[in-house]
Amino acid sequence: MIEATQTALTPSEVTKIMSTEALAEYRQKLQAQYDPNAPMIYVCCGTGCQAAGSVDVVEKFREILVGSAWDGKVVPMIKPTGCHGFCSRGPLVIIEPQDIFYQRVTVNDVQEIVEKTVLNNELIKRLQYKSAGAKESITKASEIPYYAKQTRLVLKNIGRVNPTEIGDSIIRNGYAALAKALTQMTPQQVIDEVSSSKLRGRGGAGFPTGLKWESCAKQEGLRYVICNADEGDPGAFMDRSLLEGDPHSVLEGMAICAYAVGSHRGYMYVRAEYPLAVKTLTTAIRQAEALGLLGKNIMGTGFDFEVTISTGAGAFICGESSALMASLEGKVGRPRPKYIRSVEKGFRDSPSNLNNVETYANIPSIIANGGNWYKSYGTERSSGTKVFALTGNVFNIGLVEVPMGISLMEIVFGIGGGVPNKRALKGVQTGGPSGGCIPIPHKIPDINVGYGKLAEVGSIMGSGGMIVMDEDTCMVEVARYFVNFLVEESCGQCTPCREGLTRMKEILDRITQGDGREGDIELLEEIGKFTNNFSLCGLGTSAANPVLSTIRYFREEYEAHIRDKKCPAGVCKKLFHYEIDPDICTGCGLCKSKCPVKAISGEKKKVHVIDQSLCMKCMECYKNCKFRSVKIM
Amino acid sequence: MSGTACVCQEIECREIEIDYNQLDKIIRDDYGGNKETMIMMMQAIQRVYRFLPEAALKYLSQVIDVPLTKIYEVATFYASFSLEPKGKHILTICTGTACHLRGSGGMVRHIAERMGIEPGKTTQDLKLTLETVNCVGACAVAPVAVMDEKYYPKATIATLNDFMDRLDAE
Amino acid sequence: MRVLNIILNGKAVTAREGQTILELAQENGVFIPTLCHSPALEPAAMCRLCTVQVIEGGRAKFVTACNFPLRRDAEIRTDSPEVRHGRKLIIELLMARCPSSPELQRLAVEYEADLTRFSSLNDDCVVCGLCTRACEAVTGKTLSLAGRGTAIHVSTAFAKISDFCIGCGACVQICPVQKISMEDVDGERHILLHGKIVSQVKLPRCKSCGKYFGPVIDLEKVMDRMGEHLIPPPNADTCPECSRHNLAVKLGKRYFEQYGVFREEGQADAG
Repeated sequence: MIEATQTALTPSEVTKIMSTEALAEYRQKLQAQYDPNAPMIYVCCGTGCQAAGSVDVVEKFREILVGSAWDGKVVPMIKPTGCHGFCSRGPLVIIEPQDIFYQRVTVNDVQEIVEKTVLNNELIKRLQYKSAGAKESITKASEIPYYAKQTRLVLKNIGRVNPTEIGDSIIRNGYAALAKALTQMTPQQVIDEVSSSKLRGRGGAGFPTGLKWESCAKQEGLRYVICNADEGDPGAFMDRSLLEGDPHSVLEGMAICAYAVGSHRGYMYVRAEYPLAVKTLTTAIRQAEALGLLGKNIMGTGFDFEVTISTGAGAFICGESSALMASLEGKVGRPRPKYIRSVEKGFRDSPSNLNNVETYANIPSIIANGGNWYKSYGTERSSGTKVFALTGNVFNIGLVEVPMGISLMEIVFGIGGGVPNKRALKGVQTGGPSGGCIPIPHKIPDINVGYGKLAEVGSIMGSGGMIVMDEDTCMVEVARYFVNFLVEESCGQCTPCREGLTRMKEILDRITQGDGREGDIELLEEIGKFTNNFSLCGLGTSAANPVLSTIRYFREEYEAHIRDKKCPAGVCKKLFHYEIDPDICTGCGLCKSKCPVKAISGEKKKVHVIDQSLCMKCMECYKNCKFRSVKIM
Repeated sequence: MSGTACVCQEIECREIEIDYNQLDKIIRDDYGGNKETMIMMMQAIQRVYRFLPEAALKYLSQVIDVPLTKIYEVATFYASFSLEPKGKHILTICTGTACHLRGSGGMVRHIAERMGIEPGKTTQDLKLTLETVNCVGACAVAPVAVMDEKYYPKATIATLNDFMDRLDAE
Repeated sequence: MRVLNIILNGKAVTAREGQTILELAQENGVFIPTLCHSPALEPAAMCRLCTVQVIEGGRAKFVTACNFPLRRDAEIRTDSPEVRHGRKLIIELLMARCPSSPELQRLAVEYEADLTRFSSLNDDCVVCGLCTRACEAVTGKTLSLAGRGTAIHVSTAFAKISDFCIGCGACVQICPVQKISMEDVDGERHILLHGKIVSQVKLPRCKSCGKYFGPVIDLEKVMDRMGEHLIPPPNADTCPECSRHNLAVKLGKRYFEQYGVFREEGQADAG
């Protein structure tokens, strides 16, 4: 499908690696080229940081480093890397060996960083990280709570390797697990190791990975290994970061899987919205093939495994296994109405093992360190770690990898740094559009994040989206948003999903517009249970979750919209207005100066008032009042 | 070989030149004429014309032997395909959850009103297509706008107005 | 073949492994309503009306009877309150789209559907996909389900008059809500989707009687698709009535030659 284009190998003179010993030798050779004391500048080039200008920062570093005279000093190396995960602070720069962390670096800071920090070990205060409310800034990346409280197993290479240089991965033991599997283990032993790790699919359903491989290996004939990189959940970007930051771990995991289930053909289905991931992967595959780590006769063992990239064209439903396989075949991505699992009959009607990106990326360390090692993280029923995309109303937005079973409050406050703007936490939405809202801390004090526990409170693990919502979030609006998303993304073939969701959207639209009727909540529940039972595929049978879970925990908010025609959170514009509390207002005039329609009047140091006929409810006064005197009525 | 296909728009009738040699290169050379890669062939065709011209799809149908109605089905199913000519500039506003919570919906409405087009549509002068996307995975810098493939983090209505002012000046 | 022990609505019956629930129910005289099912076509399980409850290995789940293959002993409930309630909702939702369908109206009465709950959409198509699947089975070149989500609809390529339709009329025959029609006008067959012409096929004129008749001439395309392109279409230029007549005459003549008995056409056995 997409063929890799020209890319430079590092080093370019390398020929094919024809044995596992040769891989070890090559690794030693590469390691010898690096001076552990030489300065190394890592610049995050994930989508978030690139959007904030990190590519220019890298260019500027290169320009300065090449142009400078180094007078016998060790020349610093510059390394553009994948997503470090701390996206809200980007562009990020980390300087080794001191582990100095700089945030929000711009092109104008580069000269200073080289002169002061790299050459003279001098810190630049304004670029350093400070925790919310703290006076002292933090120097080292590893001491920042956001990183310190994570357990990075699957993300271990991200931020440390240049994803476009396979040598970086090899230095950090890339493809060593594949070498071990191919030469020291039988396929059954590989499956047993994965089974013993108790790894469960990270894509959503949480099916035990070892069990899936085992049933695929039992099938006859040609088998396919497919990687689901159609990360469609809005607010989730774990897979994107893995593909952009450490593509070789994913490819190695797929190759190990292929060996275990007896396959020689792999497909990577990447969503079209991730052009950078496609580019990085294409380069990675080309480089691995050139070294003989993928393709024919891998490392001289006689084992063949070829990987082809295929891109989607914008359809959330293609994350569903049978729809993905139809799309891989060049067809419309509608789920197949068959009660046959894809490990029996999937792509081209052949047995197909489908796992998602994060699942495959976990495999190399499990093979290298053993299933027992992996199982030592997490809980009995949910082993290992999980990467979450922490977003929404939280200080530290980005990727966090934590052991399963961790407290949700710890993620939001310990790692995420809590809710900004002195707002209170209202809940956390997990599992994307098929998930649910967990009302911590008020209605449920806290939960330990694991497959079983999340299901118990009416949500799901999903692929790992975690959206923090503060008190200014209207839960009815949130439900309407997700249902609207699913109405747009439903494939439309089955009645409950197509018609049921449309009607749920219709009802939620009217509730948020102030036209809700008595009985609407019950009707939503009735349709919701029906679509969950009667729909054809996984999208339909979980589509009502956001509605059902918000009704379950925030029923009074629905009632306020319907009966009192009020939106308590101040989101649904027709259902609230702002008033300035005369007892609190100090007359500072900030709201007046911020109001774009001049609806606020009042003299300095006197109580201000809002002219309701002019107010367009843009929230500026509410957000900006330092004394919280603007009230939602 | 070369031919023309008529793409009738409301104001005038435009003729689109189809370069069949180029199509052949995409279909036969780049993708080996393999039916399974049809979606990617269509993406490549769309990159050339900025939409999927009917004549190009007819040719594709003949070369890879897939009925035209099936190609039409695929073209209307996937959100990234367009059967209408797209604008010279494409503004995509992310409406993923994180962006939504930070007001991307209002940005979409603002541009829609200012340019007088619905999301997904193109201005009559073919200058701008306004699109929405369900998450580009850059949630940390929400809300995100993508103008002609360049990402603009933490976009505001003011950022977007700047684009529009520049477009108007063109 | 393994024989399975099934409890169907409380009654013990046996099933063949791999048999669908719908087949088993039909064999045992249990009626399960369907909209998108045709025994001639692969099940699509789109309308979901045939949903039933299956309890396998202690776990209850909802499955569609038309395509669920029985693989082990199970209990099946085709008419439980949950099942009936779900069907009622399907009917209410589809009636809002397509209120004029007699089939839906009959089901609405049986399942006591409340037709006031959902506002009318007046779309007139229930998106069962039978027409597109029938078309697929014949040539696969004319109809498909275009669009997605609520925008899904039956369409020809670019919603234009199809160059590939052979005018077989399978879509017309199979549509459960009669929204595809066919008319032969002035030597042309028109297929109309929602009243709009989507296909115009020239009809051949019978060389015997001179009448226009069904587009048998296009059998060639069907043969082609079946990989039997070497077999010439029989009687391509004669209408079916004349074909039958000619064949009868031919057979009759042979019979006369053998047995010396021949009755002219029209001289039926008077007894």
